[in-house]
Amino acid sequence: MNHRHNRSGLTRRQLIKGIGAASLLPLVGSAPFAIGGQSAGRVVVVGGGFGGATAAKYLKRANPAIEVLLIEPNETFYTCPFSNLHLGGLREMDAIAHGYDELKDRYGVRVIHAMVEDVDADAHKVTLSTGRKLDYDRLVLSPGIDMRWNALEGYDEEAAEKAPHAWKAGTQTELLRSQLEAMDDGGTFVMVAPENPFRCPPGPYERASLVANYLAQHKPKSKVLILDAKDNFSKQGLFTAGWERLYGDRIEWVGLSSDGRVTRVDADRLEVETEFGTVHRADVLNVIPPQKAGWIAERAGVTDDSGWVPVKAETFESRQVADIYVVGDATVAAPMPKSGFCANGQAKVVAAAIAASLESRPAPEAYWTNTCYSLVGPEYGISVAGVYRVQDGVIAEVEGAGGLSPADASDATRALEAEYAVGWYNAICQDTWGTSPGSRAT
Amino acid sequence: MRPDRPTHHDAARRRLLRGLVAAVAAIGLATPAMAEGPWQRLDAARSVLGDAEPVTQGLVLDLPHVSEDGASVSLTVGFDGELADDDYISRIDLFATANPSPEIATFHLTPLSGKPEISTRVRLNETQQVIAIATSHQGERFATAREVRITVSGCLMRNGADQPEPLSNPRVSVPARFSPGQPEAVRTLINHPMETGLREGPDGEIVPRHIIERFTVSLNGETAFEADLHQSVSASPYLLFYLSPEQDSEAVFEWQDDTGSTARHEAAIETS
Repeated sequence: MNHRHNRSGLTRRQLIKGIGAASLLPLVGSAPFAIGGQSAGRVVVVGGGFGGATAAKYLKRANPAIEVLLIEPNETFYTCPFSNLHLGGLREMDAIAHGYDELKDRYGVRVIHAMVEDVDADAHKVTLSTGRKLDYDRLVLSPGIDMRWNALEGYDEEAAEKAPHAWKAGTQTELLRSQLEAMDDGGTFVMVAPENPFRCPPGPYERASLVANYLAQHKPKSKVLILDAKDNFSKQGLFTAGWERLYGDRIEWVGLSSDGRVTRVDADRLEVETEFGTVHRADVLNVIPPQKAGWIAERAGVTDDSGWVPVKAETFESRQVADIYVVGDATVAAPMPKSGFCANGQAKVVAAAIAASLESRPAPEAYWTNTCYSLVGPEYGISVAGVYRVQDGVIAEVEGAGGLSPADASDATRALEAEYAVGWYNAICQDTWGTSPGSRAT
Repeated sequence: MRPDRPTHHDAARRRLLRGLVAAVAAIGLATPAMAEGPWQRLDAARSVLGDAEPVTQGLVLDLPHVSEDGASVSLTVGFDGELADDDYISRIDLFATANPSPEIATFHLTPLSGKPEISTRVRLNETQQVIAIATSHQGERFATAREVRITVSGCLMRNGADQPEPLSNPRVSVPARFSPGQPEAVRTLINHPMETGLREGPDGEIVPRHIIERFTVSLNGETAFEADLHQSVSASPYLLFYLSPEQDSEAVFEWQDDTGSTARHEAAIETS
């Protein structure tokens, strides 16, 4: 979710609905909530993405007597996973859209469509954009990322309307797709990729793949150029081999050591300049800028000078502020990557930890898994998997438990992995929102 | 040992200490730290320090708390402490305490370097402390250390990357124009595998050490900045440093590797 960016983008209808939902609250207040029982405590969850929606649902599963309020400005959530398929013309936006009906109707989560504007950690209160204040016993922040505007010279919110980042799914995804569709055959799609850490490490390279796939079919004289602030990237060998196999020399990747790091963006001229002065002109320019934790995390005082949120490995409670738990891309959870899968797993750990702490029980032992599928082509999938647990107070990868797709796999294996990727997407969305693609609940 | 209430002797000692601190502060030096720093536990660092007790303020190391790629960790070392008017930082040493060979680099600065601030990219094998020691022309010593956690993100696992051609593509970025005596940042990058001599090749044999050992910048033939590099510098060494030319200069940048091969780049620098 996107606290700053969406504030102006909130429609009047959404705002009125948000106020409507919020105005119901006095009827509930902190009075006994569960019929036939006392509230076991109130948890406010901020952000309805993979982390927040999962936390809300699993808190209710852990103990239905916990009062759970989910604050999310948008009624429809578009996932970053599979948004590259929309860019490549392989999937409609509706098929990456998810709603909150199951959380409300089946699990009894109170969903409020509003922004959170402030967190008072001492008083255990959050303030909504509607002006309403909500008390909490425990707070879960799942704020995702915000762009570090102007960290890359010339790249601010206004520039993103001309050179989209499309690193939050929704209108930015649609804008970049429409630019690609409007591009003349023979044009160059230039992507600026950031240094670590950033949301979805293999994402830029899957995007380059699926854009190349679209261009190969519809604009065969066009090219993809990736200018990268890194020398190594996720699943590099697998991507590079797949690009060669499927797209020949259509995709060119320029790494850090070959002057790939962009230091200036001119969105009006669709030009970027690298550290050593090479200017590249784009026909469609996709800038994935440096990132930080979503704005509300900073407001709540849980970020450190890196701009991300340090958390206790065992519970994902903030290391800096008591009773605030943070999940997903906003956290410093390395070696876990910033992925929807990790956010989902971290949220389950947080739900279990909060349910335990509300009953003064110790949190259960935490461990996590992650699988990142990437599509190099519609029928060419690759993956990396990892298993993680806490060792000496920090998250560590369990050696020998994960791995990469084999370098020498057959086309049949790649095709199977592309199918597994769809299966993975359907399963995690079902687990998070209870919605499968296409069956969006509105 | 801590008595319940202060004795007359303690109070006198504290007054004396306060006086000393004030005296040190008055002549523009920070308080030397009496606590043992990690540099005291590293032979390579101790040999730079000699018997001197370094000042622990003024030298600043900037590194990420957590790095997801130990093969290339961005590092900036800078000095914003105080020195006598006619003194300047003439040397900065960097050490990686838990690398097989702790030396990262030694930078030699001159008045033509202008500003003691350098950025580079380093290899860190594991979570460890990185140490910086600065030495001034008149022998003042400063030290600092930063802990960096190294963890390879699951999504970053890779299966082999191409090795760059040694000493290829020297790149230099210098400002078009300098104001005399005004330091400006200069960036350099050159492709080189910087083989550590510790890695096994595909045939199971150790790949021999092959690194750039020395980088020199001269202005009109006068040395302005030098770097001794070791195997803990990342492949394709990147350096950002400052130059402060006093007049129009012919700048020569030269990299030399351990086979004796060199690469050279020349640039005309204008001042106004």
